Amino acid sequence: MMLALQSINTYSPGSGSNFLRDQLSNLAPEWVPAWAIPLTAAGAAVGVALAIVSVLAMFSTWLERKVAGHMQCRYGPMRVGWHGWLQPIADGVKLMLKEDMIPKGADKILFVIAPALVLAALLGAFAALPMAPGFYFSDMNLGVFFIISMSALTTIGVVMAGWSSNSKWSLYGAMREAAQVVAYEIPLGVSLLVPLMVAGTFNLNEASALQSGALGMDWLIFHNPFMLPAFVLFFIAVLAELKRAPFDLPETESELVSGFLTEYSGIRWSFFFMEEYAAMFLFSLVGAFFFFGGFNSPVTWAAAEVFGGSHFIVQVLAFGTVVVKGFIGVFLMMWVRWTLPRVRIDQVMTMGYKYLTPIALVCVLGAGFFEFLFAAM
Amino acid sequence: MVAVSKYFQNVWDALKSTFVGMRITGRYLLTKPITVQYPQERMPIPNRYRGIHYLEQEKCIDCLACARACPIDCIEMDAVRHGKELEWISFTLDYQKCMFCELCVYPCPKDCIHMGQEFAFVSFDRSEFKHDLLSYKGMAREAKTRMIEAEKKKAAKEAAKAAKAAAVAEAEGAEPEATESENSKNGDSKPKDSKNGEGESA
Repeated sequence: MMLALQSINTYSPGSGSNFLRDQLSNLAPEWVPAWAIPLTAAGAAVGVALAIVSVLAMFSTWLERKVAGHMQCRYGPMRVGWHGWLQPIADGVKLMLKEDMIPKGADKILFVIAPALVLAALLGAFAALPMAPGFYFSDMNLGVFFIISMSALTTIGVVMAGWSSNSKWSLYGAMREAAQVVAYEIPLGVSLLVPLMVAGTFNLNEASALQSGALGMDWLIFHNPFMLPAFVLFFIAVLAELKRAPFDLPETESELVSGFLTEYSGIRWSFFFMEEYAAMFLFSLVGAFFFFGGFNSPVTWAAAEVFGGSHFIVQVLAFGTVVVKGFIGVFLMMWVRWTLPRVRIDQVMTMGYKYLTPIALVCVLGAGFFEFLFAAM
Repeated sequence: MVAVSKYFQNVWDALKSTFVGMRITGRYLLTKPITVQYPQERMPIPNRYRGIHYLEQEKCIDCLACARACPIDCIEMDAVRHGKELEWISFTLDYQKCMFCELCVYPCPKDCIHMGQEFAFVSFDRSEFKHDLLSYKGMAREAKTRMIEAEKKKAAKEAAKAAKAAAVAEAEGAEPEATESENSKNGDSKPKDSKNGEGESA
């Protein structure tokens, strides 16, 4: 914790080099104004982030449908491309061509802003997420903190959507979402404290660098016996935070008619949908960075031994590692979703307040004592 | 103390039931799907399935037994007898009415009408549900060619007659020619439809 606090104090914005900005300022002719270069660089970075996130989210929707299908002894999408892998593109085209509906009596401005806010907040969270060593949008000292707070901001968008829809279903969904997020932010943060305490940093790059061992024995999950329960708590809290089944109370199709999504259709609806899948990927990666070694895998270790630490091939392999780890997390979430039935709202609250929060606190205490007693040895 | 043990029991039960459930869904994830890709592959259909009818046209003797047996009168048939040979005009079954009761199959003396395996029957137009059983299973082409040949022979005969008559009359050649051309027209193009229309009106 002391290390983390120190790094907060020494935080200085704008320090460090920016590859895109540097390249652009080298390339740009003299008549280009100075302020245009960082702006262009930022625009390009946003474009790259948007492309990566939307491709991953689209692929996740396909994966979800395939996993759901096979778990129920069906095939899932099969028609568009090989085993339906082009299905998300077909869906995207359909959603874009759908009629843009705003219900009568809805608060038009909020109704339009809400999906954009949700997606923008989540894309903002991706800024703190490194994709490979040396390939990140912002090397934030408070990376995890930023990610968690940005993803909590999506809740505001959801509540906005529920309120502005002028529908009782939407409002119920939004209230449930708010209650659920308030209940589960605490165990989410507290369970993340366990690896944060060991890593001593909020920065995802640094956390990843700490865990660079050959066979993953340096991964934080193996660091002390309280890590595994902390990860389970983190996983459950993330499921609830992302309104994934069995905690999808805000959008229960059977009782609330899709909850806050009731009045949304077409491209606005797809924003919420993309947000959900991108958030799944984001939190899988947060879990991967703080429990399962970040960029590091035996493959990247071997490549680093052969080519040297900062070689291009190592970067590509690290990116692959991150994507694979992310999809393993996403797959786990899908697996849980298609296994467990939805719980009641009172059960959700009970679980959040009476079970997850105290157990997470016990884990933090236990991990602290464990590290204090045994780490020095 | 009871409450405390209940608490830990709850935690244990939740974890255990989740893992048991996930083991089951995981097992299903790895098994082969039991559904089939419908239009390309089909599930086997039992032999006595009552699907869309098919007719063994060569055996049928136009006895109307099936049409009489039909409780909702959806079978209509029409044929012309030339000595021993039957010239089929139509054998239609209206699937908007048909209830697939199979009562038309039993009274058939020649055992020539059957209920098939095909069940999918989609159309953009209601009129297409009036299914011509003659055209089913490729019977129609043969029947049509036979019919067209017969019509041609008839037309040739009539033409020969007309030519004779013309040769006899000599003076007024235009009128018999006109009647002849009309005849041939009626004969060649859509003999079926015109006759059908008559049958319906009658």
